[in-house]
Amino acid sequence: MKPYKIIGWLVVIGLIGAICPLDRSVEYDRLVLGLQQPTPWFQIAAREGGGDKELAITGVTGVIVGAALGGFREVAASMLWMKTHEYWHKGEGLQAKALWIMRLVTLLDPHWLEPWRITAWHLAYNLYVETDDPAMRAKYLQMGVDCLKEGVSWNPDRYDLYLELGWTYFDKVEDFEEANKWFRAAMRYPHPDYVDRLVGHAYERMPDIPQALDAYDYCLKRDPHDGTAKGATLTIRERYLRPWHLTEAGDYDAALDAINEYVLAQPRSTLGLHMKGYVAEQAGRLRLAYDTWKLAADTSALDFLAQRKVVELGHQLGIPVEDTAQYLYMQRVGKEMKVTVPGREKLEH
Amino acid sequence: MRPIFRVARATFHEAWRRRFLNGILVFAILIIGSSWVFAYLQPGAELQMVIDIGLGSIRFFGMLIAVFLGTRLIPDEIERRTIHTILAKPVSRAQFVFGKFLGGAGTVAANLLLMGIAFYIVFAIKAPQLQAQKPEDALIFAAMYSNIAKAILLSFFEIFLVLGIAVVASTLFSWVLSVIFTFVIYFVGQMSDFFQQLADPERGASKAAQILLGTIYRILPHFEIFDIREAILQGTYTPWTTILRIIGQGVAYLVVVLLIGYLVFNEREV
Repeated sequence: MKPYKIIGWLVVIGLIGAICPLDRSVEYDRLVLGLQQPTPWFQIAAREGGGDKELAITGVTGVIVGAALGGFREVAASMLWMKTHEYWHKGEGLQAKALWIMRLVTLLDPHWLEPWRITAWHLAYNLYVETDDPAMRAKYLQMGVDCLKEGVSWNPDRYDLYLELGWTYFDKVEDFEEANKWFRAAMRYPHPDYVDRLVGHAYERMPDIPQALDAYDYCLKRDPHDGTAKGATLTIRERYLRPWHLTEAGDYDAALDAINEYVLAQPRSTLGLHMKGYVAEQAGRLRLAYDTWKLAADTSALDFLAQRKVVELGHQLGIPVEDTAQYLYMQRVGKEMKVTVPGREKLEH
Repeated sequence: MRPIFRVARATFHEAWRRRFLNGILVFAILIIGSSWVFAYLQPGAELQMVIDIGLGSIRFFGMLIAVFLGTRLIPDEIERRTIHTILAKPVSRAQFVFGKFLGGAGTVAANLLLMGIAFYIVFAIKAPQLQAQKPEDALIFAAMYSNIAKAILLSFFEIFLVLGIAVVASTLFSWVLSVIFTFVIYFVGQMSDFFQQLADPERGASKAAQILLGTIYRILPHFEIFDIREAILQGTYTPWTTILRIIGQGVAYLVVVLLIGYLVFNEREV
């Protein structure tokens, strides 16, 4: 080999070596600035390789590989997203396939919020009603919630998925403490006004009446013409504040009398029944609590909290009851339903 | 220097006469121009879609132009035997290779510039329609415009590197093989992060795999570093220091590639 060639190749090797420190500084910048592609290819590969072969769909792998190599991640995600709609609406057992692709889309473009939202909605709402088995329903609820939590982890600086998660807890699981937590998380980022009110609604249903009043007070200070917050404040002050204070003071009979005034006037008032059931539980009158929650559950087929309470109290009282999806969900996530008044321990000491 | 510029100028003029390259350019501009039509495929993220398609098209079609142009630059001269006339003049092989590359780079740069202008026009028209602008969004939009300019600038250096690889590949292999070789290097380089992760012992990579994949990661150009679309989509400002570091890395790889091209072509029978 001629000397100039030897020198030339040595220069080439030296230059490649010299690029390494520069490469490290570029890698560092890309990591810090979030310039790296967010697509978790390993997760996608694992789904593709280890997933249910029956669900594998011809062409999907091609689209994903094309997205990976060609750099058109969002286009590929959109193409697959359209496919999911087609499968979902065809029915005929293709919903599992549709969901399988939906999850791929969420991984392919994790900053696109719509797929997270829709996928979770399909799981927690649509697949939920497709089965009568409470265990399966509980599973779908958890899958929907987990999907949204994963979406939040990818998009922590936007309110949308916090709100969606809070709403799923509020509306479908009826775990108002969790709902409240996620609504308050949504409030940390630019958000529409109604999110502030949802915080109040969640406190109201937990119930934590003083905190609910604080939340509505915040809404009214921000917008004195907020009719919803104004109405909720009036209702709480008129109906629930007194029973609440009496419960806190341990005067349960007076608290029940106070709440009964409104329940007698409006026997199907969900919030009234919830408050009464709650006070009865605090008073240790489990049978009365059971009957009240049962009435609330029979009044509204969508009152999942009341249905859950019926199951829980039924188990305690030895009354044969059928487990509901929400009850089983709570069992799945290992969460005990709270039966203590928030802040009551301070009063007792 | 003069022979280099003469070769480059002739290459530039000749490249514009290649119809298929003009065809790719026209098609690319059509796609970029209609990128807003595809925007509605992603409800809630329309602007992101325009950016993804627009900048993605600039990179993708720029790469196609670079590969098909770069792999023909030297073989055409050899096939037509015009290389003998050129090298018989006081033009060294190094000057010839470098001149050919410069001419190709000029052509590619002009193509990218046209695509970039087309995208800027589409973005300037459609962005305000697709995303309601609140006063507080003004800064985000300003960052977006600046980031788009930086993204287009980076794609210049990315495509120059692809062109360099294509020119060098054409001195080593037949036309078809050099096209395949360049595509493979580009696509694998696009996923170099993936190779780095594969080489991670925490993922269960064996010692041999660590060495092999680590070497591939170190040697191959990292094409994904030129893609800053994620920052634009997330509205993150990308500082100039980062851009300059990326350009620096691109230029360093380009020097390596052209040096290899010179070393190979200098010994080759033509």
